Amino acid sequence: CKKFLEQPALGKLSTEQVYTPAGVDGLLIGAYSALDGTAQDNAALGGGSAWEAAGSNWVFGSVAGGDAHKGSDGTDQTAINQIAAWTLDASNGFLNSKWKAVYEGIARCNNTIKIANLVAGIPDADKTNIIAQARFLRGHYYFELKKIWNMVPYVDETTTNFMVANDQDIWPKIEADFQFAYDNLPPTQSQKGRVNKWAAGAYLAKTYVYQKKWTDADALFTTVIASGTNAEGVAYGLTDNYEDNFGAATKNNKETVFAIQQAANDGSNQISEANNGDMLNFPYNSPFRCCGFFQPSMDLANSFRTDAAGLPYVNDYNSHPLKTDQGLGGVSSGNSFTPDAGNVDPRLDWTVGRRGIPFLDWGNHPGQDWIRAQSYAGPYSPKKNTYYQSTKDTYSDQHSWAPGSANQINIIRFADVLLLAAETKVQLGNLDAAQVLVNRVRARAANPASYVYKYVNAANPTGGFTTETAANYVVATWPAGAFTAMGKDQALKTVYFERKIELGMEGQRFFDISRWGIAQQALAAYYGFDGQFASDVTGASWTPNKNEYYPIPQFQIGLQTVGGASTLKQNPGYN
Amino acid sequence: SDDKLPVVGASVLVKGTTLGAQTDVNGVFTLNVSKGAVLVVSYIGYTTQEVTVGDGETINITLQAGKNSLNEVVVTGYATQRKKDLVGAVAVVDMAAMNKQPVASVENQLQGQAAGVTVVTSGAPGQTPQVKIRGANTFGNNQPLYVVDGVPTTNVNDINPNDVANMQVLKDAGSASIYGARAANGVIIVTTKKGSGKVNISYDAYYGTQRPKGGNVYDLLNPTEMMALRRLAITNTATLNTSTPTTPNFDSNLYGPNGDVLPEYISAGGFGPYGIKSGDPEVDPSKYNVNPFYTSGDASGFYRITKANQAGTDWYHEIFKNAPIQSHNLALSGSTDQATYLFSMNYFNQQGSLINTYNKRYTIRANTSYNISKRFRVGENMSFSLTDNPQANQNDEGSAIGMSFREQRIIPVYDIMGNYAGSNTANLGNAANPVANQQRTANNYGIGNRLFGNVYAEADVLKQLTLRSQFGGEYFSGNNHSFTYPQYENSENGILNTYYENSYSGYNYTWTNTARYHQVFGKHDIAFLAGTELYRNQYQALGGSNTGYYTFDPNYVNLSTGTGTPTAYSNLSVDKLFSLIGRLDYTWNNRLLLNATIRRDGSSRFMNYTYGWFPAASLGYRLSEESFMKGISWLNDLKIRGGYGVMGNQINVTPANAYTTFAQNRFNSYYDITGSSKSTVPGLGQSTFGNPDAKWEKDGNLNVGFDATLFNSKWEISADYYVKDITDLLFNPNLPGTAGTATQPYTNVGAMRNSGFDVAVSTHHNLGSELKMNATLTFTSYNNKVKAISLGQQEVPLQSGRFAGSYINRIAVGEPISSFYGYKTNGFWNTQAEIDAANASAPTGVYQDGIGLGRFKYVDVNGDGQITAADRTNLGSPNPNFTTGLNLDFSYKKWDLSMFWYASVGAKIWNDVKWWTDFYSNFGGAKSRTALYDSWTPTNTNAKAPIQEVNGFSSSSTAPNDYYVENGSFLRLRNVQLGYTFDPAGLKKVGMSKLRVYVSGANLVTVTGYSGVDPEITGSGDNGAQQSSINFGIDRGSYAPVRTILFGVQVKF
Repeated sequence: CKKFLEQPALGKLSTEQVYTPAGVDGLLIGAYSALDGTAQDNAALGGGSAWEAAGSNWVFGSVAGGDAHKGSDGTDQTAINQIAAWTLDASNGFLNSKWKAVYEGIARCNNTIKIANLVAGIPDADKTNIIAQARFLRGHYYFELKKIWNMVPYVDETTTNFMVANDQDIWPKIEADFQFAYDNLPPTQSQKGRVNKWAAGAYLAKTYVYQKKWTDADALFTTVIASGTNAEGVAYGLTDNYEDNFGAATKNNKETVFAIQQAANDGSNQISEANNGDMLNFPYNSPFRCCGFFQPSMDLANSFRTDAAGLPYVNDYNSHPLKTDQGLGGVSSGNSFTPDAGNVDPRLDWTVGRRGIPFLDWGNHPGQDWIRAQSYAGPYSPKKNTYYQSTKDTYSDQHSWAPGSANQINIIRFADVLLLAAETKVQLGNLDAAQVLVNRVRARAANPASYVYKYVNAANPTGGFTTETAANYVVATWPAGAFTAMGKDQALKTVYFERKIELGMEGQRFFDISRWGIAQQALAAYYGFDGQFASDVTGASWTPNKNEYYPIPQFQIGLQTVGGASTLKQNPGYN
Repeated sequence: SDDKLPVVGASVLVKGTTLGAQTDVNGVFTLNVSKGAVLVVSYIGYTTQEVTVGDGETINITLQAGKNSLNEVVVTGYATQRKKDLVGAVAVVDMAAMNKQPVASVENQLQGQAAGVTVVTSGAPGQTPQVKIRGANTFGNNQPLYVVDGVPTTNVNDINPNDVANMQVLKDAGSASIYGARAANGVIIVTTKKGSGKVNISYDAYYGTQRPKGGNVYDLLNPTEMMALRRLAITNTATLNTSTPTTPNFDSNLYGPNGDVLPEYISAGGFGPYGIKSGDPEVDPSKYNVNPFYTSGDASGFYRITKANQAGTDWYHEIFKNAPIQSHNLALSGSTDQATYLFSMNYFNQQGSLINTYNKRYTIRANTSYNISKRFRVGENMSFSLTDNPQANQNDEGSAIGMSFREQRIIPVYDIMGNYAGSNTANLGNAANPVANQQRTANNYGIGNRLFGNVYAEADVLKQLTLRSQFGGEYFSGNNHSFTYPQYENSENGILNTYYENSYSGYNYTWTNTARYHQVFGKHDIAFLAGTELYRNQYQALGGSNTGYYTFDPNYVNLSTGTGTPTAYSNLSVDKLFSLIGRLDYTWNNRLLLNATIRRDGSSRFMNYTYGWFPAASLGYRLSEESFMKGISWLNDLKIRGGYGVMGNQINVTPANAYTTFAQNRFNSYYDITGSSKSTVPGLGQSTFGNPDAKWEKDGNLNVGFDATLFNSKWEISADYYVKDITDLLFNPNLPGTAGTATQPYTNVGAMRNSGFDVAVSTHHNLGSELKMNATLTFTSYNNKVKAISLGQQEVPLQSGRFAGSYINRIAVGEPISSFYGYKTNGFWNTQAEIDAANASAPTGVYQDGIGLGRFKYVDVNGDGQITAADRTNLGSPNPNFTTGLNLDFSYKKWDLSMFWYASVGAKIWNDVKWWTDFYSNFGGAKSRTALYDSWTPTNTNAKAPIQEVNGFSSSSTAPNDYYVENGSFLRLRNVQLGYTFDPAGLKKVGMSKLRVYVSGANLVTVTGYSGVDPEITGSGDNGAQQSSINFGIDRGSYAPVRTILFGVQVKF
């Protein structure tokens, strides 16, 4: 009778089956898989909707930092409204979804490390490589937590009681993981998607930058820039065409330091591995169908304005605004519209979808016909995350009500490394060296390979492009000695500004302006300019000494209650 | 008595004196009286007789059973008892009243018929109603255990109601805990009919029509009014709640530059149809290009031409239509000395009022029993059913019903070429065409079949000892087929064609062996029962999908004809129970009644605590037998009773709860590690945490009550009060995020308390010589309170809806399960001065996020001077204060009239439909008349709805608050029936023994203050949890019960 009542689990792997060399390999893949934060049926990895925990940080990094409006209309995904206008409180659902997805990533890393150490039969070199990759990934997950929430609980492979307090600065732990990875990972890996030594070096240096450890950062950046290669062993460099960093066909190139791999049409008939977290971020009433989110801000678009010398208006870019098809009265879709004829940086037209400019090979952007509510969120569409019409059968995934794609999610690309290194140089007072690094980035933008060109025939956009530029692209490197001439403060502003336009819409902006201590004025500029036209951010403001970090999810504070008190302490200003 | 058995304890009184005696165990009494004296013989449950003493020394008196139900023999846990001897809380259902309702299942019919049982039904054919016995008993599944002819099951959906002979509801531990581990949610005993007497053929049938509610059910604006609302919202936004008022800009490519011209077309090639008239080149039909069955690409290149429906489409009645319902039942039965037999066939066909929904069911049953010898009996009860019942998605914002209040009314059903019209053009919102949604399901189907029954053998090895062995269970299987068509008419179109098919099958068996010892000696009547029971359950499913079909012809489409990537899944689950059973029934002198049961259950779901003990004891005392009560002439019988016991629960615990497991999951643990862009490599993640220490949930239940028969047995009253303390409640509380997302195991951490009253009153009266009346009233109340959820957690959030991640209901300590949660409102902010004053006194300078004119004023519940998340509070519970049912039966000569009234009082409903229709800002869908005519404006501050604006704020539409909470009380004439029975004499000539015809109406009258379509809401709107018993009362567009008129005939040959 006792035997009759014994019933093993069905259709699941037991711990014995997983504590094997093959099991450890699978656990590591699982640890990578959590990077995108998404799961089955358009859900986030720990529940909630996929976009709430997107690995791209389009909400927590870009929308919150003024790169983009939420988009869509006023009551769609209102939790993002609160983040965009910094009125959020701890009950905002996105906080909990992101928290859970990232900690699941950590749990998978911890399982990998723990079990790899227990399983016999893995060659030492392989075991070291596996553990180092897992520690790199764990470093990344904690970096996410650190930049979003600052004070977070730290759990590792030895943790058994998960009610851990958030009373310690975890930078040393993050550093230790990246240091281990940097010391133990091979410079090349058998597969493109795996992290290598140089990715660890770059991320460790970025960790130093976030802690303002400029000397440590400078030394490590120098090594990474000089010697670093991608996982295939190709020396780090900038691609000729800026756009190559965003399309699936050109991904995993020499500029790729650490990217989340995504695949379209992977046989699952869902888009969970195909940028599920960014599924809302396509023009509306368009061939992409849904959903009109993530509309670049006018503040961002205006930042691409260049002067006659091809240099940016670092201090007063909003005084040189781009012409749009939105304004008082508006220019409805039926009427003709001529795009802005002034000087612009070509990166504008790979970052911002704007009326009258080729939207990849989908035709000229038609303006408000693709926008759900211009008066709510402005006239622009996102572009970096889209895919090409000519290769959509391969690189887009239509297995849901909104599309997925095989585009990679850039966490660190080499341009990012160069600009962090430049920032470090400025901080150390080495302005000329900083200018060299910034100019490398600007020189690529100035390469005609990075321009957007007009269609041969706008009615047949897949029929190819002319050699006539789509807008008046004027972009140049800083003339010799410019940084020294402008001095440290302005040089720093200039580096900051270059980061804004180079990495726009890539999930970095808020974390940058927060760590730089310029969030209040940067967002005031955005709220002030865009708020004249788009009602979503009219009158918004960012609160210093509070909004540098997000509130700890209220739900998690409740869950970590022990004996009537929570082991989690809320961040300052949110109580 | 009439069954020729001795009547023990009958009272014999010499009329006019106090001289009397009682019958002994052999039914014998002795009295010394003289000839001519009149003896009054009375016995509970029997008609009192007067006998005049004659010459002889011995008088034989045969008592006739009374018209009351006390002698009814009812089936309880592993035993049968006379109703009058029951000491537990057992509700005996009046099957005649129940069967007057033309619904598919006995669960539906049970509503209001048994005190202590709460049933919430919907209009969806075949949907299992929500049945709760004495409220919620767990944080998970609260479905009672059904025991059909001695076989435990969780499914009685396909039992033919015509086959049911009787039903008892075991409510307390005293009666139910003999079912041990599965008793905590209550037990419903169903016994099917047996044949008796000579060959008997009966035919019962009805045919009728079901009618959806008429009128403008969601009170929506017509297109002209919608245009006016748009202007109102734009004006409000431009001029109010802004630091710098601007000139309203009404420009629209639909309504023109001033936003005030109703367009003739809503689509003419795609963009900007404003100003286009018939005859214009843009609407030249030769340009029209829509391929509704496109097999590649998407719909973005189509040239659509759609006329505006300026009068407004009535979407609700485009998908809800009158629908027929019919049932035909043929039964043949009879018995001989050696055997009884019953054979029945039933055809039931209910078309749903929502188009393309239906429930077709065919059932056959064969019940037989054989007396092999005087001491040895065998028999079987077996039924087979075939059900075709595709279930429509309902109570969900994305369903056709949801779209019927979201799709703008200016959109017609079809475009100029008869293809679907939709929201594809700007300014028409993002809803989908509900007719298209529902019509596209026309070829979907799902067939289930089930064999259910038992075989048994029974031997009286001694006069007092009966051994019984019964083997019963079910085998079922089924399949579902559905096709998703590509869409082209909406603003958000799915463009893939996909076919899904799945099948499932399973079986479970229960093998029960019992020995029953029964002996009467002196005034003692004692019965023992001991037994064992073995249960094994297995379920498996298999399914897949494919895409890329060359044609959508349903004759062509199957899993192998698609050209896309097929997917497949399968799963298996097994669980088992082994039990020991003991039962003692003891009666002393017809007065003292004792019942004790014990059960020991072992479950495969538990590892270290496999076994649990579930004892119970009940005591009853028949006060009316005491001499001091005898004089109360109006009191025929009074019994008080009470009991305490422990019931168990394991229904929510997953079979593999004890094990920590890992899984490969294509969707969250695979990764494109090679950078291929097109394929992933399998990976692993932890799937579950195991808890080998989970043990039995305990449901300690105290019940006290009484049964009384009054006024010459014309009135019967039965009342119970109970308290249930649920401890070691099995729940899987959320683990902190730091533990990862592996499924948390069920752990014994919760606690809950239920208490309440159940009352049943029935009466029969002869109102005139031929006018008779029977009436039965049932009353059910429960009070549910969560005592603990886990060590630290104070709440479990349930649904969130469209509120930025803020949940609208929860399980919280100190509250009833599933209580609504949000901000309390206190009118609106009427003046800027009021707002400034509130801000000035707030610690942070902002009293309430999104504060503004005409928006909700929230109540500062915690008194800290401002509104924060901490001011959210309990907004009411969807649990009713009480439910009550009243059956009234009248008969006059050959006519009979019956009525069944049902009321549910005090339940709250979260009317989520209002979120869509009462706020202009909440997506560009259809809006309500409230939004236009009764919303806040500077001149209408005493409004129902807040200010209409272009954007939503947490002070208006993006935070949950009590604007959505309504009183869901209702009184409903559930059923009324008028019948006529023909004179048997005339029928004989045509070979009939009985002919009755009737006309019947269901749901003809509903009295409610609820503003939605219907106050009966079964679900929560959460896909997959539509019938969740802990997450309910949320109206997202329900499939409402309909009015039904039908004609029926009952014939016997």
